[in-house]
Amino acid sequence: MSYQIKLDMFEGPLDLLLHLIREHQLDILDIPIATITEEYLRYLAMMQELDLEVAGEFLVMAATLIHIKSKMLLPPEETAAGEEGEPEEDPRAELVDRLLEYQRFKEAAQTLGHLESEQLLLYRRGAPAIDLEVEGPLSVSLFELLRAFRDVLRRAEAPAQLEITPEELNVGQRIVTLLDRLTQESPLEFAQLFASSRRRSEVIVTFLALLELLRRRLASARQPEPMGPIMIYRTLERMEPPGQEAAASGQSGTADGDPTGKTEE
Amino acid sequence: MDHALDRQAAIEAVLFVAEEPLTLAKLQEILGDEDPAATEASVRALALTLEGPSRGLMVQEVAGGFRLATRAEAAPWIQKLQQVKPAKLSRAALETLAIIAYKQPITRAEIEAIRGVAVDGVMRTLLERGLVRMLGRKAEPGRPILYGTSGEFLEHFGFKDLGDLPTLREIDELIGAQKPEGGPPPTERPADPSGSGPEPPVTDATPEAGAPDSEPPAAPA
Repeated sequence: MSYQIKLDMFEGPLDLLLHLIREHQLDILDIPIATITEEYLRYLAMMQELDLEVAGEFLVMAATLIHIKSKMLLPPEETAAGEEGEPEEDPRAELVDRLLEYQRFKEAAQTLGHLESEQLLLYRRGAPAIDLEVEGPLSVSLFELLRAFRDVLRRAEAPAQLEITPEELNVGQRIVTLLDRLTQESPLEFAQLFASSRRRSEVIVTFLALLELLRRRLASARQPEPMGPIMIYRTLERMEPPGQEAAASGQSGTADGDPTGKTEE
Repeated sequence: MDHALDRQAAIEAVLFVAEEPLTLAKLQEILGDEDPAATEASVRALALTLEGPSRGLMVQEVAGGFRLATRAEAAPWIQKLQQVKPAKLSRAALETLAIIAYKQPITRAEIEAIRGVAVDGVMRTLLERGLVRMLGRKAEPGRPILYGTSGEFLEHFGFKDLGDLPTLREIDELIGAQKPEGGPPPTERPADPSGSGPEPPVTDATPEAGAPDSEPPAAPA
C-alpha cells in the first residue's frame, strides 16, 4: 500500500503511553514496564502495518522502554556500603516525570480548549470569522481510533471466506466512497464503516481512507463518552471536490497543502 | 441631556469601531478625561447598561483593554448568519500553547522536550495566527529563539492578562484526583516574564480570578 498518511497532526509517543495507561487502568507511578512495553510495541506494529508514517520519536521511545525494561531485570547494583548511599533510582523515574509533566500540560490544554469554546461564542469585530487552517478534526485521539480499528480488524479476520478476485484496492477510491456514504448518513458509528468489509486488506484501506478524510477535515471523529463508541461526522464547513485530490492518491496523500505538515526550516 | 449617557454613547461608538481592545488610557485620551477613574466609571456604566435584556452586545475586559463583543446567548443567531461555527485550535496547537503560556520564555527545543514530538508545523501556525511571538534569543550556544504568548493569545482565550491563566496548581489537583497519589509538587504560575505581554498592568483592583471575566455563557447544544 503506497499510501502514506502523515501523523504529525496527531499525537506523539507520550500520548500513546498515557493512552495505554488509561486503557489498562495502570498506576502511572508504578507502571508495569513489561506490559506497557509490549502494548506500546503492538501499537507501533499496527501503525507500521498501516504504513502510517511513524515518526522517529516513536522509535526513540520504544528504545527507551526496552532499555528501562532491561534495567529493571538486572539485579540491583551492589552499592558499596561505604559510599554515600545514593538511593537506588527507579529506572522508570525519568519517564514517569516526563509523563506527569506532559499530562499537566495536556490538562492545561483542555482547560484552554474550554475557555476557547466559551470565547468563540462571543463575536467581535476585526476577528477572523473562520480559520479552518488550525482546526483539528479529531475529538478522539488517534490511539482511540487505532484501538477501535484493532477490534474491527479482529472481527474481520475470523471468517476466512472464499477469496475471490483480489481486486486492486485503492485508498483514493475508498475515500470517495466513504465520503459519499457520510454525505448520505452522518454521523456513522465507527464500526459501521467496516460493516461490509470482510477482508483484512479491505478494512485497512477503509481505515486509511478515514484517516485521510480526518486529515483533510472532511470528516471529524468524536467520542461522546469515554471509551464509548466513536462517531464519524461529515464536516460540512468546507465543500470542495474531494474526488480530484483523492484521485491523485497514487504516490502521496501528504503533498497538497497540509497546513500542519512538517517542513524543515 | 444627561451628560453621563453621552459619554457612554461615545464609548460605545468608539468600541464598536475599534478592531482591538482599547486600553483605559486610550479611552481616557479619547474622552479627554483628567482622571482615569472617570473614564473607567463611564466604561463600567456602559457595561451595566448593556446588561439589559434587550441588548445583544456587551463590554468585555480582555488583553488589558475593553472591547465590544456579542453576548454568548446571541451565538446561535450569529451562527445562522455565518452558516459555520468558528474553528477551534487543534489539540496539538492547544498543547503547544499551554506549554508556551506557562513556561515562557521558552525555546522550541524545550517545548519539544515536554511534548515529545516535533512542533515545527504547529509553531508556524501559531506564529501566523499571532498567538505566539518571538521574545528574543536565549544566551546559550546556537542562540535559540525564545517564544512567548501575545496579546492576541489573551484575546483569544478572554484573559485580561497572564495572571488570568488558570494556575497549574489547579491542574495538579486534577491529576491528583485521578491518580492514586498526588502529582508532582505544585508549580507556581509563570514568572511573569519581563515585557512578555503588550498588556499594561490592569488598573482596576479586581482580584485575580481563575475564571475569565465574562459570565459563563450557556453553550447551545
